[in-house]
Amino acid sequence: MRRLTVLLFLSFVTASFATAARAGGIAFIINSRGPSVSIVDMTTQKEVRRIPALREPHHLMLTPDHASLMIGDTAGNQMLFVDPNTGAVQKRVPISDPYQFAFSPNDKFLVVNGLARNQVDVYDAATMKLIKRFPVVATPSHLAYSPDSSTVFVSLQDSDKLVAFDLNTMTEKWTVPVGKTPAGVLWLNGTVLVADMGTDHLAQVDPATGKVIATIQTGRGAHNLFLSPDHKILWVNNREGGTTAAVDATTLKLIRSYAIPGGPDDMDFAPDGKIWITRRFAESVAVLDPATGKFETIEVGRSPHGLFLNPKAPSPAVVSLR
Amino acid sequence: MGDPFDLAAGWLQEYVLLPILYQFGLMNWEDVTYNWALVALYGVAQVVVTFAVCLPLERWRPVERWPDSNAVWVDVLYTVLSRVGVLPLVTYVLFYHTQVVVTGWMADQGWVSPTLEGIFPILLGQQVVTFILYAIVLDFADYGRHWLAHQFRWWWALHALHHAQRQMTFWSDDRNHILDDVIAFLWFGAIALLIGVPPLQFPLLVLVLRFLESLSHANVRLSFGWLGDRLLISPRFHRAHHGIRAAGDTSCNYGAVLPWWDLLFGTADFTRDYVRTGDPSAEEALATGTYLQQQIAGLRRFIGTFRRRPVRHGM
Repeated sequence: MRRLTVLLFLSFVTASFATAARAGGIAFIINSRGPSVSIVDMTTQKEVRRIPALREPHHLMLTPDHASLMIGDTAGNQMLFVDPNTGAVQKRVPISDPYQFAFSPNDKFLVVNGLARNQVDVYDAATMKLIKRFPVVATPSHLAYSPDSSTVFVSLQDSDKLVAFDLNTMTEKWTVPVGKTPAGVLWLNGTVLVADMGTDHLAQVDPATGKVIATIQTGRGAHNLFLSPDHKILWVNNREGGTTAAVDATTLKLIRSYAIPGGPDDMDFAPDGKIWITRRFAESVAVLDPATGKFETIEVGRSPHGLFLNPKAPSPAVVSLR
Repeated sequence: MGDPFDLAAGWLQEYVLLPILYQFGLMNWEDVTYNWALVALYGVAQVVVTFAVCLPLERWRPVERWPDSNAVWVDVLYTVLSRVGVLPLVTYVLFYHTQVVVTGWMADQGWVSPTLEGIFPILLGQQVVTFILYAIVLDFADYGRHWLAHQFRWWWALHALHHAQRQMTFWSDDRNHILDDVIAFLWFGAIALLIGVPPLQFPLLVLVLRFLESLSHANVRLSFGWLGDRLLISPRFHRAHHGIRAAGDTSCNYGAVLPWWDLLFGTADFTRDYVRTGDPSAEEALATGTYLQQQIAGLRRFIGTFRRRPVRHGM
């Protein structure tokens, strides 16, 4: 049965992307220790240039209007805004410890986790005014929203807890233990999934109560999780095991595990079906072909972390270097 | 080709440290161990490079020859503890977290903490130039700290441990009382916060600076010439600072890497030529004791300055 599932999975992957050409566009890779952002030509899979950051950038996200790519520089206390099509720097804005951040689905809020300062900040997404600061017990790392934008769930990595904040009342709903070292968070099918880096599994959490209702084994040091663009596969990077796991997003059964040594962390999905994965300890990005399980590597800067693919961006060959 | 130190630290993290952390339920320390791995590897490189360069120099043209070098071994221990062991880890963690809190608070007030790159945006991405500027500022700050350490009786009581060594070699750079190290850490922490020195941003260049500091302590007849000695501190120049007649507040040549500050403030002395080192007023334990004996002797001496007991202050 397991073999059949794998065959079906592989045939699905192959069929979906068989006709796809090699991806075009540009990729943004954050080098946390660089500190810089590598711009990579997705066609040639070569680094074209680097955008200097101030101190220690980690994560990035598109603005709701897609006009800017926001890059959070934690120790630099800066948000860097760059053009997602060219990589041109638009502005640098002071902000306290922007580690992981995301806009709410209704584009009303921007929640910023201050991992080093033990704070979760809620900004008005339109004005960038700080609405509320929630002090937390330890290192808020990853976050996810409920689809109605009423709640944000934040993992507290140096504790065993997940916290939920009500964004309508700006109050804490609950803080509950969900594992040894909770990291990546994702809303999926009415539940919250939390990657537990201290174990080999995800915790499936009831969003109303915070109660762990199930665990899903993925690999040692489950760190971060992502939903495929078609919402069928849940991809999980396992830091200690050096693997990337494909999990059926409906049944939550492990389908296949891929060896991605070098500390797999963030990922993004290219139109050609390949998956780009940053390797924190290897100064490179792995470009995984899920159909074959093989991956190519692209050298980038020191401690690559967040990444963003923009396949619609013009060729970097015509991008100005200044 | 990536940074070999970074890649080696990554290997150490992935195949040695992470499995240990995972096994003992300590995965929340993974960022700290990753940074420690890098600092420790650079520390090892500092020790190896310094050893490979300075030892042949000391054999080639020694200032002094000793019947035995037993007193040097404790300096080796100081070096290993300071550059590879737990001290870099503590320093990094403390400094990093202090910087994060202070600069974060400043960002809350609506402005970015001052950085050279903030003042001169052209420096963004110019890592070597930026580092050299930071290094010059920090070297000046160190000159001030070092001069003060020779002026205050309580501070000299601690700093005398560094000067007590009569068999000064390239290993002697790190022989310091732990309280003296703490003060230096606070001093540099404050300066670094003021000018926004980024932690771990310039490890390779820090390695070069630390090498120069070690070289300046080497037991070698080496001068950089009239002009060279006025640009960069040589073993000859720094040896005068450690001379037996220069202990305490009668010293000279306080600089660590650049002699510019001594020239600027009139504390430079280029006339003392390969003098004997040590502090004749220091207890014997400070010179030849074990690591623990030296630390205890330094602490006693430090406490003594507050009890109004006479503490000999240099010659």
